Amino acid sequence: MVGPSASAVAAPIEARPALSEAPRQVPYVALGQQFAAESAPLLARLEQTLASGQWVAGPEVAELESKLSERLGARACVAVGSGTDALILSLRALGIGPGDEVITAPNSFIATASAIVHAGATPVFVDVLPDQNMDPARVEAAISPRTRAILPVHLSGRAARMPELLELAARHDLRVIEDAAQAIDARLNGRAAGTFGDLGCFSCHPLKNLNAAGDAGFILSNDEALAQRLRRLRSNGLVDRETALEWGVVSRLDSLQAAVLLERLPLLDAVTQARRRNAHAYRRLLADVPQVFAPPCRDEEHNVFHTFVIQVDRRDELQAFLLKRGIGTAIHYKIPIHLQPAARALGYGRGSFPVAERQAERILSLPVHQFLSLPDVEHVAINIREFFS
Amino acid sequence: MNVRYSYLSQQFGQIDELLEQIRAFVKTGDFTLGAELTRFESSFARLIGAEHAIGVGSGTDALKLPLKALGVGHGDEVITTANTFIATAGAINEVGARPVFVDCGPDFCMDVSQVERAITKATKAIMPVHFTGYMTDMPRLQAIAERHGLPLVEDACQAILADIGGKRAGTYGVAGGFSLHPLKNLNVWGDGGVIVTNDGAFADKLRLLRNHGLKNRDEIACFGYNSRLDTLQAVVGNWLIGSAESITQGRIERAAYYDQQLGAIPQLRLPPRYADRRTVFHLYMVHAQERDALQQHCLSRGIECKVHYPIPLYRQEGLRHLGYRQGDFPVADAQAANVLSFPCDQHLSREEQDFVIETVREFYGAAR
Repeated sequence: MVGPSASAVAAPIEARPALSEAPRQVPYVALGQQFAAESAPLLARLEQTLASGQWVAGPEVAELESKLSERLGARACVAVGSGTDALILSLRALGIGPGDEVITAPNSFIATASAIVHAGATPVFVDVLPDQNMDPARVEAAISPRTRAILPVHLSGRAARMPELLELAARHDLRVIEDAAQAIDARLNGRAAGTFGDLGCFSCHPLKNLNAAGDAGFILSNDEALAQRLRRLRSNGLVDRETALEWGVVSRLDSLQAAVLLERLPLLDAVTQARRRNAHAYRRLLADVPQVFAPPCRDEEHNVFHTFVIQVDRRDELQAFLLKRGIGTAIHYKIPIHLQPAARALGYGRGSFPVAERQAERILSLPVHQFLSLPDVEHVAINIREFFS
Repeated sequence: MNVRYSYLSQQFGQIDELLEQIRAFVKTGDFTLGAELTRFESSFARLIGAEHAIGVGSGTDALKLPLKALGVGHGDEVITTANTFIATAGAINEVGARPVFVDCGPDFCMDVSQVERAITKATKAIMPVHFTGYMTDMPRLQAIAERHGLPLVEDACQAILADIGGKRAGTYGVAGGFSLHPLKNLNVWGDGGVIVTNDGAFADKLRLLRNHGLKNRDEIACFGYNSRLDTLQAVVGNWLIGSAESITQGRIERAAYYDQQLGAIPQLRLPPRYADRRTVFHLYMVHAQERDALQQHCLSRGIECKVHYPIPLYRQEGLRHLGYRQGDFPVADAQAANVLSFPCDQHLSREEQDFVIETVREFYGAAR
């Protein structure tokens, strides 16, 4: 079977010429375009999977797991129903539950904290760095006798400060679970996000860099026994058709979604490259706009830009201005987790995490997906410059 | 002749039209909580005769989320049946509560007469399981639940379109959970589930719980889960849902033929058949003498017959901490030792059924 060519993914620069009479539209997401570019081979593969009748735990799932673990450099991979479930099951596999505390960041998607709550444990937040990732210097003060794990988030596709966090974890005998939902193939000194800690949790939600046609996720582990436990936890605790060794849940990646991901995995490099190219273009084009802060990439980071986030004053005005010009943007995330109504019982309030709170008012995610052309990126940058001029 | 248990390749043998719909769907990019899901949910609600239907990630989650929405949690007890698939008790355990079992009746469902003595101060809900497609005695159970002020959450995973006097499985309790797993009567192409309810506020709560507690893109009302029925699977569901009645009828007709033929074999015993209840035969299960030898014999002839389940749930390794002991549920034990399930799906031919019947006759003839 012939896959779509990489060029179909990394949009050619001339993909969408701006016609002076038709204003350029720059959407934040382009899923329809993605499918149009690859529908023939994708549908052919889906038909194959369907014909097999093995729609749960089919060979596609095992194939995907082995390809992902090989590519990302982990001993084992366990595919599950979603990125959220990857976190919940990881916490459970490590025996983290009621009475335990897990240290994490307050500026992630809600699922990071809700996974901890659903495992029965308590999320303990620490503030973040200017680049939005967990500040290792603040972790130690958050460690209590009940702390069992650190759960750093590789937000926006930028690897968190793993060496510092691993050192802290080793010193305090804590587990490390990485939330790499936004960071597939992000690297730190060449090592993939999600392979530093005990377990690495990924999402393949439709909006992620490697995306399924529905909810999907996976967990990486270098510990075969942990992987075995995850395999039974995702399937009702069953070790065979008859025997439930422990309580589990139903959180299996559908064979069908595994087939979609297998079809797309070979394109991931091109997707990442296109996103990196767009991000670097933004950086170059906005470098001399003092009102725009785009956290720099450190030399050891290989960022995959699930989102490209700038930090600006008058953020809401800028967002409205861009929208009027046909440019879609997003905010990840407008309300920090500790200020959500759901988190009230945790006892935090405004002022608990000043850096994250200030960022929440200033962050704006620009379109960075692989179907943007460089003229699209230029168009966005020009409009941002105009706004601030 | 081989008589296979799974008929999926036959069911989806002619799917050009469906693939066209899938093709059109994937181009929309509408993958999460999309329009096709909403359409499926309203068709499903209509099919069951409920006000609301909420598509979730699996049948297990279709049981877990209603318990969560009821506020069932740590220290609480939920009464259910001693022989069911692990997921029923798993859902109860998932919310932090403790499953309390009652023994089964001759129809494999909860023996409703034993429920009352299992109720304690900690009991927060009752979860009957319409096992194999039989209806639990819901009118009687409802009266008990009302008397004790306990909500009912129905495990209707195996019982789509089963009813008592026309009132369908899933519509008796505050909510009913259904599974769309590939092997269920109404099935999609992977894990999937649906919850039905007649309570609008309860439905809203369930919609929050399945989607991270998100009230809108930015605001979170409560800690929730990620348990959405993929919109892609809803496309499959929409394609199939019009056949739900004929699938059910196909199973009932095949069961009736088995009954007529297998019922005449003295070493087999049929479970009770009810005139006023519609049993939908997700499984066609009989009691068999020398069950294991019969199963081996059938398997050796290419007939995929199965046991649901050889180890009753309450005796599973993973549940040992609940403190039950062998013998606590004698009916479930007896059933685990002698039940056997034969293929009974809508695609099974008369010829295949005759082969099953002949093979069983042959076994007992030789054994005599």
